[in-house]
Amino acid sequence: MTETLPIRGGIGADGPFWQALAAGEFRIARCGGCAAWLWPAHFRCGYCGSWDIDWPQVEPVGTLFTWTRNHAVGELLAERRGDLPYVTLLVELPQAGGARVAGVLHGDDTGLAISMTVRGVIRPAEPRAKGYPTMAWEIVR
Amino acid sequence: MSMFRGRTAVVGIGQTPYYKRATSPDPEMKLALRAIVAACDDAGIEPAEIDGFVSYGSERNTGQKLMPGLGTRQLRHAALAWTHGGGIPAAVGLAAQAIVAGQAEVVVVYRAMAEQNFQRLSVAVTQDDTPAQFLANGIDMVLQRSAMRAQRLIEAEGVPAATLEAIAMASYHHAQNNPAANGYGQPLTTEKYAASRMISEPLRLHDCSRENDGAAAVILVSAERAATLKQKPAYLLSCQMGASASGGSREDNHNPYTSVGFLDLAQRLWAESGYGPGDIDVAQIYENFTGMAVSSIIDHGFCTAADAGAFIRLENLIAPSGTLPINTSGGNLADGFIHGMGLVCEAVRQLRGTSTNQVPGARLSLMAGGPGDSVTSTALFGTGDTL
Repeated sequence: MTETLPIRGGIGADGPFWQALAAGEFRIARCGGCAAWLWPAHFRCGYCGSWDIDWPQVEPVGTLFTWTRNHAVGELLAERRGDLPYVTLLVELPQAGGARVAGVLHGDDTGLAISMTVRGVIRPAEPRAKGYPTMAWEIVR
Repeated sequence: MSMFRGRTAVVGIGQTPYYKRATSPDPEMKLALRAIVAACDDAGIEPAEIDGFVSYGSERNTGQKLMPGLGTRQLRHAALAWTHGGGIPAAVGLAAQAIVAGQAEVVVVYRAMAEQNFQRLSVAVTQDDTPAQFLANGIDMVLQRSAMRAQRLIEAEGVPAATLEAIAMASYHHAQNNPAANGYGQPLTTEKYAASRMISEPLRLHDCSRENDGAAAVILVSAERAATLKQKPAYLLSCQMGASASGGSREDNHNPYTSVGFLDLAQRLWAESGYGPGDIDVAQIYENFTGMAVSSIIDHGFCTAADAGAFIRLENLIAPSGTLPINTSGGNLADGFIHGMGLVCEAVRQLRGTSTNQVPGARLSLMAGGPGDSVTSTALFGTGDTL
């Protein structure tokens, strides 16, 4: 995957995140100057002014911050229609400064509740993810 | 002393009907012209006098395209507030700034949208703004993110889910007195709400706004000019736009998470206007989704998360006697949705005394913009005796 990504909505600073997932690794941006976690990734650290962005590997375990079970999706997510209903979530990563990453819940959603521990599972690039590899999350029981 | 407080006023409002999506009889540009000319007629101002054009994110009908149809004598100011629903009322603020700075005298603020000309505007609005982090993970920039916020509000902060229903009920309640509203003749009951299908939990169909075709416009001039015109002026007491240090585009990493961006803005709004939440007679609270409106009410200081359940109840939110009547034309949910522009017209009608759900003697009228946008805005209008 190149630095030029097919989805143009973000600022384009998260190329290494997707490249890492494609290589089977979970990496989050961190300032090379002051070590602040920078999520979502940016080109410059707003805390110390450094242009040096590191991408340390992070264990894909986090806390369920919030979620929704989707029963309908719009045209932008037409590739997901066959998956309905599916659960999307935000996962908080204490080991990465509390960064919150977005994802899809994988597996049984019985008892889903905020503050549960979830563990990431890398899914290969697929059409439902617009050709991106993704980190899906499973409830740790 | 504020340079802007009360120095400008809305003196004309104009709207086309809200047409069901993709059924507008006219192309978008013509809808824009119809609303702008109607606002001029309302104000008693010649359309050719307009010398300033302001709109907000994703508006495609620019001043330069409109001017040949308006006979514009001189275009002196044209600007766009950057965000979508959060850009209104900021666009009103940009208009006022131009007038106070002497850069324009008659400024129109408008929104026009018709699906027949372009793909559904919501797609146009979101496709360039939805980061890969969301889109690759099955998350729409607007619906799913709003649903996840509402879930956190309910599950982690203890705000009762009934507050979402109350927002929807207030809009539909008011629409029953507004024959022009989409929801006119379609009262919403607790049973009907509970039976409406789940879209993105906890949001049901009746928690979600749906785009219409249509256009709306308001005309601003200086307070001096306003005093010479035929309508009762709606003075702009304060209009604040912006984002806090932890806000802006952060892909839901902003804090506090359930804030929809008004905490700092509301403080500045109350400081500049000299009024506070307890003084407000009526409020138009942009409700793209009901949960976002709940957070908007909390952010503005009308209540806290802890007492939201007691405050955000239907009887408290309706004209004429509620503590805070909101969305008195039926709002985005039950009147019509053209990205909140109709709410500005309704905020003005309340000060003129011409709302279909009039709050008796309304003097202070709030319009809160698109909640949860990466930059948002809020405005307070007042009658002459509030200056």
